[in-house]
Amino acid sequence: MTGGPDRGPPVTFAADVVTYIIRRLIAAVILLFVVSAVTFAIFFLVPRIAGFTADDLASRYTGKTAGAEQTHEMAVKLGFTDPMYEQYGRFVKGLVAGRDFDTGPSVEHCPAPCFGYSFIKQVPVWPEIVGRMPVTLSLALGAAIIWLGFGIGTGVISALRRGTFFDRASMGIALAGVSLPIFFTGLLALSVFSYALDVTPPGGTDPTESGNNPLEWAHALLLPWITLAFLYSAGYARLTRAGMLETMNEDFIRTARAKGLTERRVVTKHGLRSALTPIVTIFGLDLGLLLGGAILTEKTFGLPGIGKWAVDSIQNNDLPVVLGVTMVGAFFVVIANLVVDLMYAVIDPRVRLG
Amino acid sequence: MKRNRMISAVAAGSALLMGLAACGGSSNDADSGSSGGSTTTAAYNAAIGKVFNPSDKKGGTLKLANSGDWDSVDPGDTYYGFSWNFLRNYGRSLLVFKSAPGAEGNSLAPDLAEGLGTPSNDAKTWTYKLRKGIKFEDGTEIKSKDVKYAVARQLDKETLPNGPTYLNDLLDLQGYEGPYKDNDPTMAKFTAVETPDDYTIVFKLSKSFSAFDYIAALPATVPVPAAKDTGTKYKEHPVSSGPYKFEVNEVDKRVVLVRNDQYDPATDPASGRKALPDRIEVELKANAADVDNRLLDGTLDVDIAGTGVQTETQPKILNDPEQKNRADSAPNARLWYSGINSDVAPLDNVHCRKAIMYAADHAGYQRSYGGAEAGGDIATNIMPPQIPGFQKNDQYGFETDKSGNVEKAKQELQQCGKADGFTTNIAYRAERPKEKNTAEALQQAFNKVGIKTELKGFPQGDYSKLYAGKPDYAKANNLGVIIYGWGADWNDGFGFLQQIVDSRTIRPGGGNTNIAVKDPQVDQLLDKALTTTDKTARESLWNDIDKRVMDQAYILPGVWAKGLMYRPERLTNVFVSEAYGMYDYTAMGVQ
Amino acid sequence: MTAPLEVTESAATAPPEAALAGVSRKAIQGRSLGQIAWMRLKRDKVAMAGGVVVVFLVVVAVFAPLIIKWWGYPYDEFHYDLVDDSTGLPLHGWGGMSWDHWFGVEPINGRDLFSRVVYGAQFSLLIAFLATLVSVVIGVVMGVIAGYFGGWVDTAISRLMDIFLAFPLLLFAIALVGVMPNDAFGLSGNSLRVGVIVFIIGFFGWPYIGRIIRGQVLSLREREFIDAARSLGARRPYILFRELLPNLMAPILVYSTLLIPTNILFEAALSFLGVGIQRPVPSWGDMLQDAAKWYQTDTQYMLPSGLAIFITVFAFNLFGDGLRDALDPRAR
Repeated sequence: MTGGPDRGPPVTFAADVVTYIIRRLIAAVILLFVVSAVTFAIFFLVPRIAGFTADDLASRYTGKTAGAEQTHEMAVKLGFTDPMYEQYGRFVKGLVAGRDFDTGPSVEHCPAPCFGYSFIKQVPVWPEIVGRMPVTLSLALGAAIIWLGFGIGTGVISALRRGTFFDRASMGIALAGVSLPIFFTGLLALSVFSYALDVTPPGGTDPTESGNNPLEWAHALLLPWITLAFLYSAGYARLTRAGMLETMNEDFIRTARAKGLTERRVVTKHGLRSALTPIVTIFGLDLGLLLGGAILTEKTFGLPGIGKWAVDSIQNNDLPVVLGVTMVGAFFVVIANLVVDLMYAVIDPRVRLG
Repeated sequence: MKRNRMISAVAAGSALLMGLAACGGSSNDADSGSSGGSTTTAAYNAAIGKVFNPSDKKGGTLKLANSGDWDSVDPGDTYYGFSWNFLRNYGRSLLVFKSAPGAEGNSLAPDLAEGLGTPSNDAKTWTYKLRKGIKFEDGTEIKSKDVKYAVARQLDKETLPNGPTYLNDLLDLQGYEGPYKDNDPTMAKFTAVETPDDYTIVFKLSKSFSAFDYIAALPATVPVPAAKDTGTKYKEHPVSSGPYKFEVNEVDKRVVLVRNDQYDPATDPASGRKALPDRIEVELKANAADVDNRLLDGTLDVDIAGTGVQTETQPKILNDPEQKNRADSAPNARLWYSGINSDVAPLDNVHCRKAIMYAADHAGYQRSYGGAEAGGDIATNIMPPQIPGFQKNDQYGFETDKSGNVEKAKQELQQCGKADGFTTNIAYRAERPKEKNTAEALQQAFNKVGIKTELKGFPQGDYSKLYAGKPDYAKANNLGVIIYGWGADWNDGFGFLQQIVDSRTIRPGGGNTNIAVKDPQVDQLLDKALTTTDKTARESLWNDIDKRVMDQAYILPGVWAKGLMYRPERLTNVFVSEAYGMYDYTAMGVQ
Repeated sequence: MTAPLEVTESAATAPPEAALAGVSRKAIQGRSLGQIAWMRLKRDKVAMAGGVVVVFLVVVAVFAPLIIKWWGYPYDEFHYDLVDDSTGLPLHGWGGMSWDHWFGVEPINGRDLFSRVVYGAQFSLLIAFLATLVSVVIGVVMGVIAGYFGGWVDTAISRLMDIFLAFPLLLFAIALVGVMPNDAFGLSGNSLRVGVIVFIIGFFGWPYIGRIIRGQVLSLREREFIDAARSLGARRPYILFRELLPNLMAPILVYSTLLIPTNILFEAALSFLGVGIQRPVPSWGDMLQDAAKWYQTDTQYMLPSGLAIFITVFAFNLFGDGLRDALDPRAR
């Protein structure tokens, strides 16, 4: 579904678009189910590989005075002793319709979409994810805007001024950029801008704590945005340049030029448009992955988003949380891909829906 | 109580108080020392033993932050030291640790109660009289039934799992499991606690226990109005009985306390509460490094966790004389130690265990925890110096051979029949850099005598329940040296030792805090201590236990903990509470 | 693999549709390819520089024990005399750099950073190489099958790749490595860790190679020489191994080279998140994780490991880029 655009005649009927959308939607739903099944299976099996029994899992829900028998009762009550497919069935049912957790004295209802109940915090996972989303969203979207503008801009200029100093320098920097891990650039940025120069807040500042002050919010996110955007810009600049160079040699560009269009128009209207096609694919995937938790960035800058939460939960063996975040991450990737596929029709006139 | 917030989630084992007998009166709380006066000169350790910047000025907002998680703000469901310290602001238990500097801070004062408990002759029945006119935040008067209900509900460790289990173990429950299972509003089956009238409450124990006043000071006795109890949800808004009440309580985000207008200081003459600020804000889940930075630049008043600044912040304080003058190296009744697991061969042989004792790098242990100022002193034996009756006993010469004694270690190995050394594993909690560093330091030191080790990091949340604290797992995975830490639930021999040396507390299912000591002689000594009425004799028995555990090399003591605390300039009335080993949160105000 | 990490996306791992379009659309002829490419590569000074650094790093990794013996210290040896008793900071300025300790020493225990960085190259490169091998083997097999047989087989494999690409990889990887037991499959300790990490990085990396190979095979399949072989009655294995595979060598070479740096970053990320090689064996990501705590008071600590990752990845990328350009001049 992230497959490249097949070339063919342009869309003629709106009906085509509707069927196409429906088909993609169905495919996306199926894909999500497969992903959820695989994820569930792995997270179901992994603790058993690690030597945990159903009782061990249940012991996280029981009180400290519980004996072995009580723990086992809890395991049965929570269904940890059931076969995997039954547990998966309940999981899916929880996603769609919500489910009840009988964790002892009171029955806790976990409303749909129910991703389960955190071992550690003893609360449903979904509201916690929702609560952390704003941080991840702010981070990913802000950085995306910066890197799209900066990366594509640099790429286009480089392509048009191929071989110049600007081209070489920016491509050199770009290659260096994709070679830098963010947990290194992030640390460097923190120690220079936050600690030595004291112009940005230190790591761990929660941007959503800024109340309704957008300036404070942006200030808190400035460093993570720039650091993250730098890495992506580097990649996008390289991609854009390569795409531009390729398209500018194509027949239709020559035709456009021959028609007497201005070079500016040729570049923006024709060249950039088709050079953007692969960028959109990548962008969809990148953004989808980031929305599912910008793990390294959040961890480096101490931002309390879902990625950092997931990593912390992994350290605590809090599998329901990890499962939930993984699912949400997969969801974003699938949706992003869907959107990308639909956008092809808009961006690239050569794309045939099919 | 636990002084370290991180340990608590895993550490609470059930105390099987076996064969307790009268210990003769409530002498433990009588030894309140002299308070050390006050000072206004900024100096290193100026807030230890005396009040720094004394003030009676009310008003302002006290800003605290917590880099971690609160287990719960529900008084019946919390086991963190800082939480016990802080909740005195919104909850009043029967008795309370007095808010005072120096040794006085380690003494119990009556809070809801008019005085200390009155025991029956066999110390199996304890009676407390409540003061009249104390009100909940909604204006209703607090009666003995509210305390009884609070005690009853926290017995249910399935609903409220975090708190200690002392009351479960001590009370003569007759099978009573708490009001959530019982559903009888009159609690007729709960005969272990009686309320003959509105201002009298009687506790009936299944065995004699002379130190019950400490139990009466647990947050478990903070009254809860039955009508307002929502079980696990009560923590969203605990009903205040103290000088402050909850205005905001957002899970994982912040807690805001404001003045409780129903609180009458006239009903609170003994606790020493000052209630200076008008508002107390606690930010939760803050980034640890950020908390320190904000403390240092004065935009935050206190790190509520009370474990001291991060390792990385220490240089900024210790290397800068001006900053150092605003810091205190607060001692804490806590031992960082490693259990030597006698289940694992060849550590079943005492000489092999002793080889570990001699080979260990004590200076490395200390460095790993932050050095002498911020980490603490090299521990030579098990009980920390704050425990009354403490005797130092450096039988292995830890202080003279700080980096280990290779020669002696090799001799012990010889006697153990493992002259060339052996292999075993070192377990630590993966999320704790200090334990990780300790593991590496020990590994290096053991290498020198031929003991080869592999490091095994485990998630701290399950450390006690599924890994190191589960005997089968520890044995099967060859966990010979288990890095751990323990703080006294209250400062006396029983409150410190029982949970980590009584072999009868060990449950095969896991969740143990006693990870290493399985010695019948130690158990006997414990029983004897609890039947010994004479204080001095009893305290010498605690020392005997300490010595026995050291002789048998079950525990490798590491560091007697200290925390490097920072007090920003605008704080007033600051001092370290000896009971909690951190600043007293009911005394401080802001300029 | 498209963007397994926030760090290693598009450029190094651009999907076949884009930057690699040149290669994928017109497969390069096998015979004269070698010489021509080598000539082009030799002229590309930057790529050659990258190549030299790569060779140098491999030599360093292989001879790490010797290098440490001559110029360093055992990587796990403590030097308490070099760090402050109470603060744990290195006693000498610049992170404790000195003639004896070129890169300075670690705070708290004073371990020699030069030795740790040098030794860290071993596992870093080993894991990256092995994981790449796994990805390439799976990717080539799946890609060839999908491309050559087409039809439902192609659809199935392509969907499979989509599923793989939809997983939040890094999260998945740390979850899996994080809960691995200490002993399994007859391995224990770090050898098990290496095995698991290689498997995970490699296993999740194959769709990236797989797609490229599939595209290549799709276009090759229709070419005359394959047709000719087929009409001459050549059997499938013959066509696959004698006709197809040689023509796939160029893209395999290029994208393996470009996958290695991605995998180095991946491994570093895993170590940074605490699920890499276990201490005291050094790894660059783990060193950075430790350095992160000291960014204010011992800023220099982050430099040796951070720069080691950067230089290694950069060198591989330079060389890989050059290789691609040499094998496919159109993409320049």
